[in-house]
Amino acid sequence: MPNIVACFKWVIDEAYIRKGPSGTLDFSAVDYKISDYDRNAIEEAARLKGFHGGSVTVLTAGAPAASKGVKDALSRGADQAFFAGDPTFNQLESSQTAAILGEIIRSRIPYDLIICGEGSSDQYAQQVGPRLAENLGIPCISYVQKLTIGADGRIIAERRVEDGVEVVEAPLPVVVTVLPEINTPRIPGVKDTLMASKKPVVTIKKEELPPVGAARLQTLGMTATRMERNCEKFAAMPEGIARFVEALQKRGVIN
Amino acid sequence: MPGVWIFAEKKDLAQELLTIGRELASPIGVKVTAIVPDQGDQGDIYIAGGADEVVLLSPLAEDMSLDAWLPVIAAEAKKADPDLILLAATARGKDFAARLAARLETGLCSNCIALHREENGTIVMERLAYGGAAVQQVTCPTRPVIATIPPRTFAPAPADHGRLGEIRKLPPPPPSPVRVIARKTKERSSQDITEAKAVICVGRGMEKQEDINIARQLADLVGGEVGCTRPISEELHWLPDDLCIGLSGVQVKPDLYIGLGVSGQIQHVTGIRGARVICAVNKDENAPIFQAADLGIVGDLYDVTPKLVEELQKATGR
Ligand SMILES: Cc1cc2nc3c(=O)[nH]c(=O)nc-3n(C[C@H](O)[C@H](O)[C@H](O)COP(=O)(O)OP(=O)(O)OC[C@H]3O[C@@H](n4cnc5c(N)ncnc54)[C@H](O)[C@@H]3O)c2cc1C
Repeated sequence: MPNIVACFKWVIDEAYIRKGPSGTLDFSAVDYKISDYDRNAIEEAARLKGFHGGSVTVLTAGAPAASKGVKDALSRGADQAFFAGDPTFNQLESSQTAAILGEIIRSRIPYDLIICGEGSSDQYAQQVGPRLAENLGIPCISYVQKLTIGADGRIIAERRVEDGVEVVEAPLPVVVTVLPEINTPRIPGVKDTLMASKKPVVTIKKEELPPVGAARLQTLGMTATRMERNCEKFAAMPEGIARFVEALQKRGVIN
Repeated sequence: MPGVWIFAEKKDLAQELLTIGRELASPIGVKVTAIVPDQGDQGDIYIAGGADEVVLLSPLAEDMSLDAWLPVIAAEAKKADPDLILLAATARGKDFAARLAARLETGLCSNCIALHREENGTIVMERLAYGGAAVQQVTCPTRPVIATIPPRTFAPAPADHGRLGEIRKLPPPPPSPVRVIARKTKERSSQDITEAKAVICVGRGMEKQEDINIARQLADLVGGEVGCTRPISEELHWLPDDLCIGLSGVQVKPDLYIGLGVSGQIQHVTGIRGARVICAVNKDENAPIFQAADLGIVGDLYDVTPKLVEELQKATGR
């Protein structure tokens, strides 16, 4: 019965980011969420457990406030959580995240299958899964849209590539990164949330881990992109639609 | 030895990377090395495109995938110690790049949309963050600097058949533990929406696959193509995914974009920023698409679109 680890990131919900003065990003009204595709990763772990038994461990490294995310993750079908929380883990770069997750998995969690989202909704660097696999010295299968564990303990994955689908097979353990179409993440109910607070959480302090190396990629700056336009709204009435078409003509985009 | 490496699975992507590879290599007089699968073309086309050295990867066995090259390329990179490695940001390329970066203990700028060398030699790279709400500028202090570059970021390198270069071949690598057991080629769209002058975009506001015809009718009328949001191509599979517009799809730059039942999340809007006039039909007046649009109709697309078609027919005399 497989021990499955699902990794997730607690991220700023990008929908709440405003453009501040002179191209800065205004984070003053933001909310946080489990990164979109990491919800698919947790769901897939829970789905496979439903099929094969075994266990589901959710794992994250982040700022102490990510404990909210740990609870959320536990309400999505996981049995236990490992959480490396530290204020300095707030803006980890992919190589650092992969190093921390790798260390925790190697030293503390029995694993057969590790599932990550294809990329996080904040950085979308799409590196943690493959880097984690390298750190653990195991194969990585990225961009997976369908996952099955065979009777012989091998994994069969359909991975999406430009020219179609590559169906691959590998012996466990492996790291898999999943696409959103692999499943529909559940919406946890009140009961799930209540149950989540009774599940074990192993909290790991920074001091218990080997020192985290410098970020391999250094951020020099972030500039807000210009997206807003002045929208002229038209009513869905005959006159409105006629005026809309006139506006298109005036702008020379139809002829 | 300093130099710029480019690595791509496909010829056209390699030619695009050669454009930027050459641009970065020439001013400091270093070599460009193209690492490409051997597709029976002897590699001269890459030399004509700007490579000084071509490394041809021998064809793989049917059950092998690009992964198998990882140990070989990592060993080559350790030996040759290039300054910069550019890979095409395809699914396999992105996975490969991240694992290569881990093996070479260096940084990777994923989905890099611009890069240049500063006077002091530092390579500064740009990428999108927060779904496209921000441009992030990064550097990588360790060598080699690695970046993946989305298709179509650079124009293909022009061919100069007078150029000279060396070609060598790498023997097939040993099999990796990941075995390919089947390949399914997928339906590709026959149109290139990245070049379309009008794009009608289908969003989740469409209830059924057949309803895409409503968008198609509008597209025909304005001489454009149909595109879609990610859920339409990827979750519902109603349209091929080369029609998905946005952060994880393609960028479009038509004169006219009309979103039908598109909410306008940042990851999608990022892909339409280059459109001259952005229009939206959405029944939710608070949908974020209206902040990104120039013209909007608040209403049910099933009610509005036929009327719009009629009005356009009148206006254009078709
Ligand atoms: C890392 C990452 C990358 C992503 N990359 C992309 C990408 O490249 N491209 C992309 O598109 N998305 C991408 N997404 C997903 C994106 O965040 C949105 O989920 C997606 O764009 C929403 O698609 P939609 O507008 O079709 O659907 P929805 O958000 O569900 O919106 C449907 C809209 O239709 C309206 N509607 C419903 N019925 C009607 C009707 N009858 N008439 C009129 N309006 C109606 C609703 O009001 C709603 O606004 C990405 C997400 C992440 C996290």
